Amino acid sequence: MDNTIISYTKNTLLFLFLISVSSCSKDTPEVVNEEELITTVVLNFSTQGEPDQTVRWETEAANSAEIILKANAEYDVQITFLDESDPNDIENINEEIIEEADEHQVFYEFSGVSVTYGQGSSDALDSNQNPVYINSIWNTNAANSGIVRVFLIHEPTTKSATTRDGFGGETDVSVDIPIRIIEE
Amino acid sequence: MIKSFFKITVLVFFLKGFPLWSQNCDFILSGTVKDLHDGSPIYGAIIRIEGTDSFAQTQENGTYVLKALCAGSVVFLIEYAECNSIRKKVSINSNTTLNFELEHHINALEEIIISDNRLKGLNGNAKESRLNADQISRFSNQSLADALTTLAGVSSLKTGNSIAKPMIHGMYGSRVGIIANGIRLRDQEWGPDHAPNIDLNAFQSVQLVKGATALKYGGDTPGGIIVLSPHRLILRDSLFGQTIMNAATNGWGGSITSKLMKTSSNGYYINGQLTAKRFGDLSSPQYVLSNTGMKEMNISFKLGRSKISKGWELNYSRFQNETGILRSAHIGNIQDLLRALKEDKPLRIEPFTYRINAPKQQGLHQNIHLIYFNQFNDKLKWKWDYNYQVNTRKEFDIRRGVPLDVPAIDLKLQTHSVLGSLQWKKGFNWEMEWGINAMLQDNYSDPNTGVKRLIPDYIKTQLGSYLVGSYKPSNSFHWDWGVRLDRVGWDVQKYYNVSDWKSRNYNTIFPQFEVNNIGNQILVNPALNFLNFAAQTGISIELSEQFNTSFSYVLSQRSPNASELFSDGLHHSLATIEFGSLTLDKESSNKFLFSLTKTQGKLKGAIEPYFSKINNYIFIAPKALQQTIRGAFPVWQYEATDALVWGVDTVLGFDFTDQLNFDINASYTHAQDMKNELPIINIPPFNSSQSIQYSSPKKRFDIKVMHHFTATQNRFPDLNFNVTTLQEDGLIEQEVDVSTPPSAYQKLDVFFSLYLGNIEKSKTSLRFMFYNITQSKYRDYLNRMRFYADEIGRNVQVQFVFSY
Repeated sequence: MDNTIISYTKNTLLFLFLISVSSCSKDTPEVVNEEELITTVVLNFSTQGEPDQTVRWETEAANSAEIILKANAEYDVQITFLDESDPNDIENINEEIIEEADEHQVFYEFSGVSVTYGQGSSDALDSNQNPVYINSIWNTNAANSGIVRVFLIHEPTTKSATTRDGFGGETDVSVDIPIRIIEE
Repeated sequence: MIKSFFKITVLVFFLKGFPLWSQNCDFILSGTVKDLHDGSPIYGAIIRIEGTDSFAQTQENGTYVLKALCAGSVVFLIEYAECNSIRKKVSINSNTTLNFELEHHINALEEIIISDNRLKGLNGNAKESRLNADQISRFSNQSLADALTTLAGVSSLKTGNSIAKPMIHGMYGSRVGIIANGIRLRDQEWGPDHAPNIDLNAFQSVQLVKGATALKYGGDTPGGIIVLSPHRLILRDSLFGQTIMNAATNGWGGSITSKLMKTSSNGYYINGQLTAKRFGDLSSPQYVLSNTGMKEMNISFKLGRSKISKGWELNYSRFQNETGILRSAHIGNIQDLLRALKEDKPLRIEPFTYRINAPKQQGLHQNIHLIYFNQFNDKLKWKWDYNYQVNTRKEFDIRRGVPLDVPAIDLKLQTHSVLGSLQWKKGFNWEMEWGINAMLQDNYSDPNTGVKRLIPDYIKTQLGSYLVGSYKPSNSFHWDWGVRLDRVGWDVQKYYNVSDWKSRNYNTIFPQFEVNNIGNQILVNPALNFLNFAAQTGISIELSEQFNTSFSYVLSQRSPNASELFSDGLHHSLATIEFGSLTLDKESSNKFLFSLTKTQGKLKGAIEPYFSKINNYIFIAPKALQQTIRGAFPVWQYEATDALVWGVDTVLGFDFTDQLNFDINASYTHAQDMKNELPIINIPPFNSSQSIQYSSPKKRFDIKVMHHFTATQNRFPDLNFNVTTLQEDGLIEQEVDVSTPPSAYQKLDVFFSLYLGNIEKSKTSLRFMFYNITQSKYRDYLNRMRFYADEIGRNVQVQFVFSY
């Protein structure tokens, strides 16, 4: 009986040794390059007779400068979504959005200010000719100040809603930018 | 002439022990002898009356009859080659029915955990803690968790309908061990939305050990363990098999499972099994649950030789599935969640389809298992198990600009384990087992997902040793005990965002882990070690012929799992960011269980209260809001508290007649976070199921009506948070209610089984099952999809079981 226990113990130790030998350390894992990341939203406003105005919402700061627009004016608004996680390789996400226009929708929600918007001259259209609003025309009304919430909606359930809830889908971008409309 | 003389002699010889001339000697004793583990009838067991020559042998269906017995007290011996014999004293004053359950001898090849006696002791009326082959077949096209919820004290934590995790006394995942064919299942068990990668159809019996840990397999499961056992081995020449076919209306799908076993008297045996399942989108009473289809394909194979005292076995199994996740449950931010909560139906309802799109999960689990055992003499046996498991898990999300076939999570977990044990027994009274268990686990998280790793690359090692024993001086008393010590080591390589690493103060607590910085990420190499101790003891006592009682105490210690330590990422189904914590310590649970069981008579049942105190109970709780480009996200972080969990499981059965009986199962669980003085989240509310069953006299058919009731969970922590929504005149805060549990519900199932052919020989049956027959519309607190959709509606299932 003693012999059996000894042989048993020997076998056990041999097995454990084999296991520990095979547990060599692992290779250093590769760093993951996060895809489909959006870090920055850039809004560019232009109107005749004035210099262009650009505001940037950046993840790092989680805010942006205020948009200042003139009352009762028309602005050409270009929105750009960027991935700036790698400063040496800034990616423009607009290309993807335009390519997959059916699955994307830009939507602006205003509070405290009265602004209407429509399709811009160089806007992207989806397969049903719905504007994505990558490029849009904003018409401002009376002077006031408030917030514009900028949405990028992924796979909306409809492309022709007037509220965020109406579009359904998943929110890829939702940032609040302060906006002020001043008298001319 | 000579022949008939011989016959008469034999007859006289057999009858001479029977005092036929006595007036009180015309009683009949009859009953059945079954296997304790799987409830299958035992053929050829001998029932003897001690001190006489009279005996009977069981038929193929396990029944026996002993006639012409005299009134008075007699001692019975029930013997069967592969099993421990039972001795029982019975007083006879009427025709009596006595049913026995035999336990397999330790030298049968089938895996027997040494605590099996305790299993029976703990759960005296083993009925409520075990599923037999027949019950398993009913759940042939469902999951392990679905089958187990028919037992009191078990719930299932679900993600939709097809992804279900068994939950024992409110605990799941790493707190519940699944032991299949004698080895611990090693998959990504930490995830609440990860169903165990196991095919129920490959097993013949399922046992539930509540609270008690089978220390042989680990001392880290305070919830309990689930033991799945294969078909009992018969060492004679035979070939048998079974095929089960299912068709169901909800999901318009079905399954087929088939197994075949060949055994031979020289000890060789071979076994193969195959399961295929396919379902399309399921339906709630009012709408299609889009993208909830699933498919599964499993295969297993076994080859071995047993010469009772010596043997080997080789096992291979492969499990593969793909499961769709309700499309509407994929959300981008908490405003999307709020929108989903406001609606009473999912935001996307598409026509029925078999297609499974993202979001979906794919799992593949493969297992190779080698067993060798050798019994040196009556007293000593040693056994080796080597096991290699590979688990790959892929999760696909709705993504932008990434090919559809690129998963968002891609994990490969490889586990090697070795278990060596030495079993020793002295007479019938003492048994002991000592063993060593070593495990090496390697997790690889593929970086090509383009998503930050949720779980990092790591190597986990575990080295443990256990000593368990039992003392059984008589059939009416049983004592068992055990201790186990484990050392668990983690060697991890993980990238943190530098900002996260610093904001958690890890740069000052763990500077030794830092390797190097790459941009805004830092590579760290945490090395963590835990020493866990587990112990258990229990006694069970037969108080009388009708009553048993048992008491047990279990100390278990569990080191934090990969998710609790390292989890780092966004969950799309609840819009939460989840973080592990490197500072967590091991969790220690002290659990006391008591049971009182009535095993005889028209009224049978068991009541099982339990109480456990868990120090350093690890749970996840909301900590803060993090501002992202998708708005503010709640950040949840793992932390520890002290918890108190108690509850009662009850099973009652009443036989009105031999044909008609009534059963009720009920359980209540109460769990409290003592430090924060809050109820613990996701604890099953009070629930009960009651059924009435009628079986035709010759068991040609039976019909069962089952009613389920689940109460509202009134004890829940308030984890609501606010989201700012934009209104005409500015931002306003709106509460997102993710805490309030859904209302109580009831549902009704009806089962009709028809037994065909020769019932004694083959078990061919046809079943019609009607689940949720009244189209009850409800949501369940333990389903993570409850925010988005109702549970499934009526399902009519036809099942054909054919044994050969």
